[in-house]
Amino acid sequence: MRRRRFLTGAAAAAGAAATAGAATGCGNLQSGDPNTLTFMFRGSTEERDVFSRAVELFQEREGISVDIISTSADQYATKLQTAILGGRTPDVFYFDASMATAYMTNGVLADITPYVEATELPVDDIWQAGVDLYRFDGDQRGQGPIYGMPKDLGPFSFGYNKTLFEERGVEPPDPDVPLDWDEFLDRCARLTGDRAGTGTTDTWGTSVNIGAEIHSYLWSNGADWLDEDLRTVTVDTPEFIEALQYVVDLREVHGVTPSINDTEGLDGYQRWLRGQIGFFPVAPWDLTLYRTLDFEFDLCPYPAGSTGTPATFIGSLGIGVSASSATPDRAAELAMFLACDPDAQAIIVGEGQTIPNTRTHAAEWVQDTSVEPQNKQEYIDIVEDYGRFVPDMLTYTPEWLNAFHTDLQPVLEGRRDVAEYLAATQPVMQGFLDAGHEQFRIDQEANS
Amino acid sequence: MAATSAVPTAPLQTSGVQPDAVRRRRRRSERRFRSPADVLVFLALCLGAVTMLLPLAWMLSTSLKTQENVFILPPQWLPDPIVWENYLRIWEAGPILTGIRNSAIVSLTVITVGTVTSCFAAYGFSKMKIPGRNAIFLGLLAGIMIPFPALMIPTFMLFSRIGWVDTLLPLIVPGLFGNLMMVFFLRQYLMSVPDSLIEAAVIDGASHPQIFGRIVLPLIRPAIAAQVILWFMGTWNDYLGPIIYLNSENVHTLQLVIANFNATYAVQTDFPLIMAASIVSLVPVLAVFLVFQRQIIESIALTGNKG
Amino acid sequence: MSSVPAATAPPAVPEAAAAGAAGRGRPPRHRPGRGPLHRTERIWGRIFIAPPVIGFALFALAPLIFSFYASFTHWNGLSAPLFSGLTNFRTMAGDAQFWQSLWNTAFMMLGIPIGLAISLALALALNRRIPARGAFRVIYYLPGVSSVAAISILWQWALNGDFGLVNQMLSMVGIEGPNWLAEKMWVKPALIIMGVWKGIGFSTLLYLAALQSVPRTLLEAAMLDGAGAWRRFLHVTVPMLSPVTFFLVVTGIIGGAQMFAEINIMTPTGGPEFGSATIVWYIWQQGFQNLKLGYATAMSLVLGLMIFAVTAVQFYLNSRNVFTVE
Repeated sequence: MRRRRFLTGAAAAAGAAATAGAATGCGNLQSGDPNTLTFMFRGSTEERDVFSRAVELFQEREGISVDIISTSADQYATKLQTAILGGRTPDVFYFDASMATAYMTNGVLADITPYVEATELPVDDIWQAGVDLYRFDGDQRGQGPIYGMPKDLGPFSFGYNKTLFEERGVEPPDPDVPLDWDEFLDRCARLTGDRAGTGTTDTWGTSVNIGAEIHSYLWSNGADWLDEDLRTVTVDTPEFIEALQYVVDLREVHGVTPSINDTEGLDGYQRWLRGQIGFFPVAPWDLTLYRTLDFEFDLCPYPAGSTGTPATFIGSLGIGVSASSATPDRAAELAMFLACDPDAQAIIVGEGQTIPNTRTHAAEWVQDTSVEPQNKQEYIDIVEDYGRFVPDMLTYTPEWLNAFHTDLQPVLEGRRDVAEYLAATQPVMQGFLDAGHEQFRIDQEANS
Repeated sequence: MAATSAVPTAPLQTSGVQPDAVRRRRRRSERRFRSPADVLVFLALCLGAVTMLLPLAWMLSTSLKTQENVFILPPQWLPDPIVWENYLRIWEAGPILTGIRNSAIVSLTVITVGTVTSCFAAYGFSKMKIPGRNAIFLGLLAGIMIPFPALMIPTFMLFSRIGWVDTLLPLIVPGLFGNLMMVFFLRQYLMSVPDSLIEAAVIDGASHPQIFGRIVLPLIRPAIAAQVILWFMGTWNDYLGPIIYLNSENVHTLQLVIANFNATYAVQTDFPLIMAASIVSLVPVLAVFLVFQRQIIESIALTGNKG
Repeated sequence: MSSVPAATAPPAVPEAAAAGAAGRGRPPRHRPGRGPLHRTERIWGRIFIAPPVIGFALFALAPLIFSFYASFTHWNGLSAPLFSGLTNFRTMAGDAQFWQSLWNTAFMMLGIPIGLAISLALALALNRRIPARGAFRVIYYLPGVSSVAAISILWQWALNGDFGLVNQMLSMVGIEGPNWLAEKMWVKPALIIMGVWKGIGFSTLLYLAALQSVPRTLLEAAMLDGAGAWRRFLHVTVPMLSPVTFFLVVTGIIGGAQMFAEINIMTPTGGPEFGSATIVWYIWQQGFQNLKLGYATAMSLVLGLMIFAVTAVQFYLNSRNVFTVE
């Protein structure tokens, strides 16, 4: 009897608390306040903090209040998609360049060219390649009206562990002249060894993150993913085969990267963080973490294949304005503010994880040798000179490129022949590319 | 009022869960094994129990380590040093307190209202004379079989159009209409309660809500209790709904906060932090389970009997 | 739960009620509830069952109808759906990844018989007179209490090739464990092990309850007839447990076919060589990453039909085989 009363009492209390709580849970019902912009973005915890501060600056200066929604990177795509689906696209939001064509074709992004031309912000100072990436004339990217601002350009540079090089007595790479593949292999071999004297190899020349680094090897060898029209998959060319074979051999034949066994517990990235790897990519978004490690690092060009020039990819995110925004002028102002306002950029670059987005700022930034890396010029070289965009940022969907990686593991482990794999995968990738183009065509017609 | 009917209800047989007095008397005799086979069985059970607990224990162990010690080979079981601070850090590293609050709001609201609706519905489906009730019931059951992606997107669009996204309402409102599993369970349970019990009360002039409240409810209380516990665990542990509907951190439920922990901190290999957060997320459900586990087991046993 | 024989079915009751009613001078009812006397009951009845029915209409039926329409469209989630007839279904038939994810899902269902066998053994063990039965029950049920997110995170770490718990344990008996989540051959077994670990508690409890309701009279009769322990088990106990088994298999298949959260957390790219991509995960990926919501919806419906067909077959087989005293 007592227990029954206790249970009823508990239930009643719970019910009361719950209804009270439910009322507060409704606090996010969008008020549709025309004076508030919604801004949705993603990033690591540091990035989110930095961008929130930049947005606060905007709020103070312009007197417009901004509602910030920040999520972790892996949930972002779902969130954005569901927001668009539900007709609740935020006023200003990040978007992946690889989805840009789809968003532009289907009228999700607003054409902000008039705002770009009218603004007082230094938009002309932004990297040309960045701005052009978000142009679209209805058929092709790179020309036509502007549909978004580049949040940044992220040059994926190569780097090296200076401390390890010194310890092993290997000459550091020249910041201006790329190594060729034989020289690179040679340096890696000399970096690989037993530093702690335990009888097992515990330092390696490099560790290849295939998804991010394959572009460098194949481009510098004269190969490419797609042809110029972006309609044909070209992964079965001799240059491509050679490049992929070189990468596979680094591990399987020469042993200058951690073996499969070695990477089971700690992968290449973890080992780099522990100072066990000689050459490793150093992207701007890695800098805040890398600066805290207990070894010194710097940037250098990627090794060059048969073309003699290095290559690597440039990442980018766009900041877009929703086509259904009630206040596109203010939304565009926020987007442009984050992209090029000097004070905002000072915060974002200073404590964040990007290189400057404007040329004048970059020119100053390169001069600063007080903080790693010394060779910041490498980033600028990539953006202005030898960096390229991966074609999946320009096609309708990135599905064709994902197909390359699905069954790649046996090839990387030497269990499947490179040439045979590429010959077998090309038609699969081509199928996806064609399907993507078909989707594009259907959507173009539907939206015209 | 025919609250006590002419029909005696058979004492409900429970499965090995005995009244306290009997239990105390039995315990000594149970300490002596009946046969050598029992000893073997006992040992096997102990081994199995260790296997079941090992991952959870290891989770606890990892949560108390420093980041480097996580990667020592051979891995250490007793952390050295023991880092209690991890449990302090989690409160700052993410909105765990808000997560707990939001999860509690959703779970408690859904359960208090939803249980009432489910009980009435179960009574209706099993005992009341409604034309076509079995067909309706089977139709509802078919609803469970629809894969959730087919439902998720249109439901999301519906909630989006009425502006409920980024609130807790999409997680609460559907549950208020009742829980089909609970209705199913209670219906089966009620089917073994004699019809005449109800009919006698009808003849005596009781209205149906009264019959339900005074006769039926006391009989099925253990079953309700068990289902409530299970439903609580279900809503507390729900992951998919929060992912789709909740954006701002002030409405994140606990599971979402934990999943975000993993995404954010795994890259930094801060596994102790992630494990500590996961353990904290387990504690409420665990507590509820331990307190009410006898109810759950009793009711499952009772159903076992009643078919 | 659905049709476990009611061992204590009281056959005496209807007569008592009739006697009682007759004692009051009113004729017993024969018509099944229609007619004016039961009108209040019908009204109340409809009110009582209204909430789940309304809930079903709003949150299951309406979305289902919309999805049905959407599966015949080309829909990218960014603009309105465009009718496209049977294209999605034709694509599905030729989509290698669709079939592979179906195969992956079906493979993971191997966990169901394994789990049931282990639970039955456990239930038999817990049915004996040994100390600490209550504690064991709690311990075995504990993993089932935790959330999918926490468990997935835990197991993702536990299956780590070098530092994980599983390989540690294996190395204690001299086996070098593989890198579970990164090897095509081992990723599905790893997920099956995790699933069994989590689900054992619940099935064990159900079996335990059912075991204790097997009528002693039947077992004694069999013993008197000279049946040994094993034959008693096989021919008396197991058939009496069939309703529980039926329930667990049906719910196991329905639940297993929709496995998603674990995959999304542990192997977010679909696993090594697409080895752990379940069908719902694939549906999710196509819908949300590749802008193919129409296709994703079509696949969901096909999956739903498959589940329904399998369940219907099970109900049919069950109605012919189950041994009930109802």
